[in-house]
Amino acid sequence: MTFATPLIAGIVAAIAVPSLIILYFLKLRRAPLEVSTTLLWKKAIQDIQANAPFQRLRRNILLLLQLLILALLVFALAQPRTERENAGGQRIVIMLDRSASMASTDGDPARDGWSRLDEAKKRAIELVETLKEPGVLERCQADEAMVVAFDAAAEIIQPFTSDKRVLADAIRSVQPTDAPTSIGEAYRLAQAQRPTRQFTDNAGGTQPGQTMEIDGLKGGPSYTFHLFSDGRIPDAEVFQADAEQAGEPPSFEYHMVGDPGAHNLGITALRAERAFDDPNTLSVFVGVQGTEPTSRSVDVELLVNGTLTSVREVTVPAAEPAEPGMAARPGSGGVVFELTEPRGVTVTARLAGIANTPGNALRADDEGVLIVPPAKRSAVALVTTGSLFLSEALRGLPLSRFEIIAPDEYESRRVSGALAQFDVIVLDRYLPQANSAGAVLDPGRYLVFGAVVPPPQGVTDLGEGPAGQIIDWRRTHPVLRDLTLDGVVLGKTRPVEIPDDSGVVSLAESAEGPAIVEVSDGSVRALVATFDPAQSNWPFQVSFVVYLGSAVEYLSGSVTDEGAGSRQIQPGGVLSDRLPDDATDVRVELPGGRSQELVPGLDGRVVFGPVRDEGIYRLRWSGTPGATDTVEDGRVSREFASNLLDPAESDIAAAEKLGLADRVVQARQATSGGLLELWPFFVLGGLGIMLLEWWVYNRRVSL
Amino acid sequence: MLKSSNPTRPTTIDELLDPRLVAKISQLDLSSRKIFAGKLKGERRSKKRGESVEFADHRPYSVGDDLRHIDWNIFGRLDRLFMKMFLEEEDLSLHIVIDASASGDCGEPHKFFYMQRVAMALSYIGLVNLNRVAVTALGTRDPAVAPLGEQGIAGAIRDLRGRRRVQDVGRFLCSLSPEGSTDFGRAAKRIAMMRRGKGIMIVLSDFFMKEGYETGLRLLAGRGYDLFALQVLSPQEVEPEIAGDLRLIDIEDQDHAEVTISAPLLKKYKQNLSAYCEDLRTFCARREITALTVRTDTPIETLILDYMRKRGVLR
Repeated sequence: MTFATPLIAGIVAAIAVPSLIILYFLKLRRAPLEVSTTLLWKKAIQDIQANAPFQRLRRNILLLLQLLILALLVFALAQPRTERENAGGQRIVIMLDRSASMASTDGDPARDGWSRLDEAKKRAIELVETLKEPGVLERCQADEAMVVAFDAAAEIIQPFTSDKRVLADAIRSVQPTDAPTSIGEAYRLAQAQRPTRQFTDNAGGTQPGQTMEIDGLKGGPSYTFHLFSDGRIPDAEVFQADAEQAGEPPSFEYHMVGDPGAHNLGITALRAERAFDDPNTLSVFVGVQGTEPTSRSVDVELLVNGTLTSVREVTVPAAEPAEPGMAARPGSGGVVFELTEPRGVTVTARLAGIANTPGNALRADDEGVLIVPPAKRSAVALVTTGSLFLSEALRGLPLSRFEIIAPDEYESRRVSGALAQFDVIVLDRYLPQANSAGAVLDPGRYLVFGAVVPPPQGVTDLGEGPAGQIIDWRRTHPVLRDLTLDGVVLGKTRPVEIPDDSGVVSLAESAEGPAIVEVSDGSVRALVATFDPAQSNWPFQVSFVVYLGSAVEYLSGSVTDEGAGSRQIQPGGVLSDRLPDDATDVRVELPGGRSQELVPGLDGRVVFGPVRDEGIYRLRWSGTPGATDTVEDGRVSREFASNLLDPAESDIAAAEKLGLADRVVQARQATSGGLLELWPFFVLGGLGIMLLEWWVYNRRVSL
Repeated sequence: MLKSSNPTRPTTIDELLDPRLVAKISQLDLSSRKIFAGKLKGERRSKKRGESVEFADHRPYSVGDDLRHIDWNIFGRLDRLFMKMFLEEEDLSLHIVIDASASGDCGEPHKFFYMQRVAMALSYIGLVNLNRVAVTALGTRDPAVAPLGEQGIAGAIRDLRGRRRVQDVGRFLCSLSPEGSTDFGRAAKRIAMMRRGKGIMIVLSDFFMKEGYETGLRLLAGRGYDLFALQVLSPQEVEPEIAGDLRLIDIEDQDHAEVTISAPLLKKYKQNLSAYCEDLRTFCARREITALTVRTDTPIETLILDYMRKRGVLR
């Protein structure tokens, strides 16, 4: 039995019980009665009291009964309650899957258009209704719940509260997205709410008895997770990883929504590529996946800038039936469209004529959009006193314009502002003169070889170093991910030190320290190789040409950090891009037609997201356009496409079991529970004793 | 125990002395374990060997004895001198002490009225048998009302003898009303000093005296009086019929006791009452005082014809 409001009851008891006893001492308005003598009575009273002040109380059944009534009422005020399942206020995390597959309309076979998310929300609200209520006067001991909605990312819709109305409102506010599913972030988000576990050093260490905390090891009672999902979760094993840390595995309940037998047909791959040799040739690959047990043909339509240009039939083979221990493997097919298109275009692929057919419960994957940039070439200037390797290598790149400039001429052009026509300026063993603020690089994009850009923009030069090798490089960087620097031997290294709190990132390191650094200082972006390539074997390696090509592409803006050229975002991801420095009044237009203002960062970067829905996102701003941007009505426009394109998400059959790596949680269909409030019984008991007291009183009076 | 809301206040002797009771008690006479000397010889045998006609015993002659009482017949037969001894007859005093304090103004039947009737009946018996009768009322009074009121004596009549005096006793008793408190010790001292001769003294009271009855009884018990203590209690004092939370007020001194009536308290009260009466009886037995406790719902006939005869007060 627990009490909702023990404190209030304690206070009332502390006031009422002594008051009752004092009143009992004071209450008697005794009826005067003349008797022949009080002699014997006084003796009798003395005998019976026997000098004990509480003797009178002990003998007084009426007071005892009244105290009993009071005790019962005080107990009732404490709102005692028992519950069938757990004692104490438990903490529940309601995890709502709002990923694309939850938009499938098989939530309830009896209700047309009732999506899995609608069903999940309904069941979650039912669960909330069974939570223990908080007390009337105190908020304690009630069950608390947190609502987390997740797709690829997670969001706390409602932090822990016991207010059922707030929780239900929060659950109702969850909207479906077109993003794939990942539960890991949601789980970590919920676990982050728990306090860090505290350890007490009892092992006779240096400071016995001292408590310490270890990041990541969580203490406090573990939460009960209620997952409302169709079970299409590829990363459910995060629970086990945490179970090893938290000591006890979190209690987990899986509420399955959706039909395990549901089928779907969807586009799971969409890719556009320009031929390397002929940028005007564009190939568009469309991958289609089906989960039906029979093979099926479907028409794929290709639209370029909204105009239907081509239709091809795709045959999707039958899905392989499920084997013991294995889920059914969906069948997949694909088609390639070839077209000649030098412009930047929007390519849309869609499955025709299946919108409302059975076997296609999910609509989000019936269409995909690609933004294909125009066949673009960059303008590059090489500032050098003469470098065979660089000039020849750059000349071999597909550039729109290439010019070799002497340092003197560079300075004069710099003054006249004639350098803005170049996308990238390559500085070979040369640094421009520093301006009054000490900055050597004007706003722009630079590729620097054999020179050290000093602070405040760059790094501290430590002088010439010994010979060395490149021993490590950042393989995830867009410029470096396609090449290897393994065999590069440097005749002379040029050790540098990266100042703290600078925007400089080391991309490649020799034994002496950073060898290639990226400088991004607001309007300036530069890739700086501190060593002189002419005094190394790098120019003789393929990686040198690849580096030059990647760097020019990267710096000229045709490549973003996120991926090559395609401007694709998966729902759940973040739209992130860098705008020209003079971009103002930046807005992002969402697929639904709404728009939202964005404030660019110092280096022109804008971030929007996570992106929820499929479709085209348009960044619009006033200012200079980039090389691939279009201009409409005086405002620059840059487009991004958001597509689901996730085979796991398109396979929508609800999972009846959820593998948690160490255990399997069966889907739970119904919820039970509820609380038994005990206070009415105490009040009734009090009334009963009051009747008994009345009877005793009457009996006493009629002695 | 409770103060009577409508007490009986007798105004005539007929209310005190029922003619039917008179018929029953007319043959009775006072009796004593001792035979007492009195002033009027011939009416009553005395324990003293004396000059009555009734032979009692012989004893050897000694020099100086009255020659008139020598038994010459025995001298003739035995040639020795023996004295003839005769029972002496003498009269008897009856002294009735009635408690006229406020505590008598209680009970149903009324305690003081009961005591008045008992006193009247006993006085009647005493008077018709030509005994000397005195009645003294106890109770503090204003000296303006009673000369000895401050000493605890509310009034007294003395030296009554003969049937004609019955009216005097009745008037005196009717003039009394239960008031004030008692000062039994001082009053007893006064009574003991005032009384003359020897005889029977009957004390009618409830003996609920805060100052204690011991001193008074001890003073009264001396000087050759055969003392008889009649404790009169109302039925309500023996079996209280009260309940609830009460403030009990002593009718004599306004002292009060706050009680919550409960079964244990009542039980304790009854234990205390019986112990009190037992103490009184034990005290009296040690001093050759005859003690008798009577409830006011006991008929007077039963008291006089049965209880008092059995205890040798009457015959």
